[in-house]
Amino acid sequence: MVRRFLFSVVFALSSLMATHAWADITMLVPSGSEGDGLRAAAADYAKLKGTKVEIVQAPYSNVFEQAANAGQTKSGAFDIVLMDDPWIPFFAENAHLEDLTPYFKKAGLEGPDSDFLSKSLAICRNPYNTGPYVCLPYVGNAQMFFYDAAKFKEAGIEAPKTWDDVLKAAKALSEKGGGRYFGYVFRGGQGNPVVADFMPIFWSYGADMFNGDRTKVTIDTPEGAAAMKTFMALRDVSPKGVESYNANEVGQALAAGTAASSINWPNWVATFEDPSQSKMVGKISYSPIPAGTKPGSSEIGHWTMGIMAAAKNKQEAFDFMLWATSPEQMKISAERGNPPVRKSIFTDASLTSQEKFRHYPVLMQAIEASTPRPRHPKWPEIENAFGIELSKAVAGTETPQEALKRSQAAVEEITGIK
Amino acid sequence: MTVSIGAKFGNSFERWFERHLRVLMLAPAMLVLLTLTIFPSIYMIIAAATRISPNPDLPWQFAGADNFLRLLTDEQFHVGLWNTMVFTVFAVGTEFLLGLGLALLLDRYIRRLNFLKTILMLPMMLPPVAVAITWKLIYEPQFGVLNEIMFRLGLPLQAWAGDVRLAMFSVIVADVWQWTPFMFLLMLAGLASLPDEPYEAAAIDGASAWRQFWDLTLPFLKPVIAIALLLRIMDALRLFDLVFILTGGGPADRTKTLSLYIYQVAYRFADPSYAAAISLFVLFTTVAFSTWFIKRMRLAD
Repeated sequence: MVRRFLFSVVFALSSLMATHAWADITMLVPSGSEGDGLRAAAADYAKLKGTKVEIVQAPYSNVFEQAANAGQTKSGAFDIVLMDDPWIPFFAENAHLEDLTPYFKKAGLEGPDSDFLSKSLAICRNPYNTGPYVCLPYVGNAQMFFYDAAKFKEAGIEAPKTWDDVLKAAKALSEKGGGRYFGYVFRGGQGNPVVADFMPIFWSYGADMFNGDRTKVTIDTPEGAAAMKTFMALRDVSPKGVESYNANEVGQALAAGTAASSINWPNWVATFEDPSQSKMVGKISYSPIPAGTKPGSSEIGHWTMGIMAAAKNKQEAFDFMLWATSPEQMKISAERGNPPVRKSIFTDASLTSQEKFRHYPVLMQAIEASTPRPRHPKWPEIENAFGIELSKAVAGTETPQEALKRSQAAVEEITGIK
Repeated sequence: MTVSIGAKFGNSFERWFERHLRVLMLAPAMLVLLTLTIFPSIYMIIAAATRISPNPDLPWQFAGADNFLRLLTDEQFHVGLWNTMVFTVFAVGTEFLLGLGLALLLDRYIRRLNFLKTILMLPMMLPPVAVAITWKLIYEPQFGVLNEIMFRLGLPLQAWAGDVRLAMFSVIVADVWQWTPFMFLLMLAGLASLPDEPYEAAAIDGASAWRQFWDLTLPFLKPVIAIALLLRIMDALRLFDLVFILTGGGPADRTKTLSLYIYQVAYRFADPSYAAAISLFVLFTTVAFSTWFIKRMRLAD
């Protein structure tokens, strides 16, 4: 009896150890198309090279938590983490990420090749665009402006170039919609959602969170006030309840044809063009972010692969990253639904001739004109504080001026920059 | 010779085993308790008194009471505390009144209608995440069933989870839906255990139904009510899943609870020291309240 029990325990333990110990590379990726794409690539890599790649897939916010926990405890649980780009300063400046310079050297390379988009590479360096590479870009996300061209035309705007154009059309459409159809819809949910949809407008009016050398917080400025004015005007023509909206609600409103325009991420294109999920197949147009008083700028939201400093198999991890970001693999990744980060794939005629890739020229333009979220290791805390004040302004519990003033104070407090 | 040494060893092992049997039997449970309760508690106290950097190369610094003093000036903590109290009072209060009312109404009939009991218990059996997603879909302003009903009735559409005036109410309604059955079941069990004689005597004396309820039912039910309230209050003070999924703490911080804030501080802001300090505050407050409540209701008797 005892012998049988011991045998069972040993068998169970060895099975557990086997599944973990046999993985040459362990990767932490988010749920959704980005993680699914990398999971598929890992399976291909395993077949091709005989390397076992284990994928740990978690919801968006859990990826940050698990990676931060692994980095903070040096657990070595993950070799590669697929990171959202605003997390890079936190991981890099807290010694969670490996500097990739020696790995490039060992591979006989100076760094990533020039086929990568420059903005995609800039975010993978820490400090931004000047420091060493701490990751490689994998999914080329940047916000685009989505709109129903026919409805906008009905409202007298052929192709919106500025936020004034958007407002004019959205106001007319919402007034005509009788509370069931709206000219604009946005993510107003507290925290990340509302900040993500406000930042492009903020930049379009020449505002920014910090000055160039990050020595001053610059939220409460005339530029910030102008951006806020437009944001509030857009709120007034949006559906009731946007205060709790996230990307899903916004995307669904456009797919169901109950809203005419929004800012959103390119992965929604697949939904809009899928007849089983959308009433608007072929009817949604894509453009870069409209201009305010300055040219429009998208928020960049790339998914990037970094090697954890405590990783157990760093060289294998780097080899995989190089392979996964090669032009051939990036094309396969694009076909699996993830936007690329290479010029050659964005301009590949075999892709751009297909309906589902018709947004590629606009997306490449959006990435080239994009701005990263303020690069600060305390970005999650900054985003939370700014998101609370924006949420209050959207909900009407404080005035837009108060929201800017309090955001300025909160960010000064968090960063210690006065 | 070998056999006798073996037998000698066997005998002494048996004696040792018998002497320590109680300890050996308790050991696995103690080990689990030590690993899952005592060690994390000690770790949390140490963490709350230190400054832990997200950078693993930087040593922990002794912070004394700094993390606890921060509670006094942290506006977001105050908002979380207030919202948690509002939620607890209104959600648990409503659940108690509805649970008691339903139990009094259905006490006589429910014994014959077991299927009704099963139906009433269903929400309680659902995982909180499933409840939160269900209510999120119900409250959805454009496609949700609640607004569809409002529209068909010609009533103004509402942003149930998105309106600052309605968000906390919406969270409370979802919680009441899930946890009223729990109150109902406990009250029903309490009612089933009441003796008949005092009621018969009261009826002979001409006491009205209200008088019987006030002077007999309520005092008899007091221990059950106290335990039900205590369990629900302790649970409500930890509210997380519902607000995390339904509102994310918004709009305008109106539904941010202490548990949600602890989660943000620990995992989003990577500040485990301060999160530990808030958690200890919640723990000691809950323990202090429970002790006071148990004494007040004389449950120990």
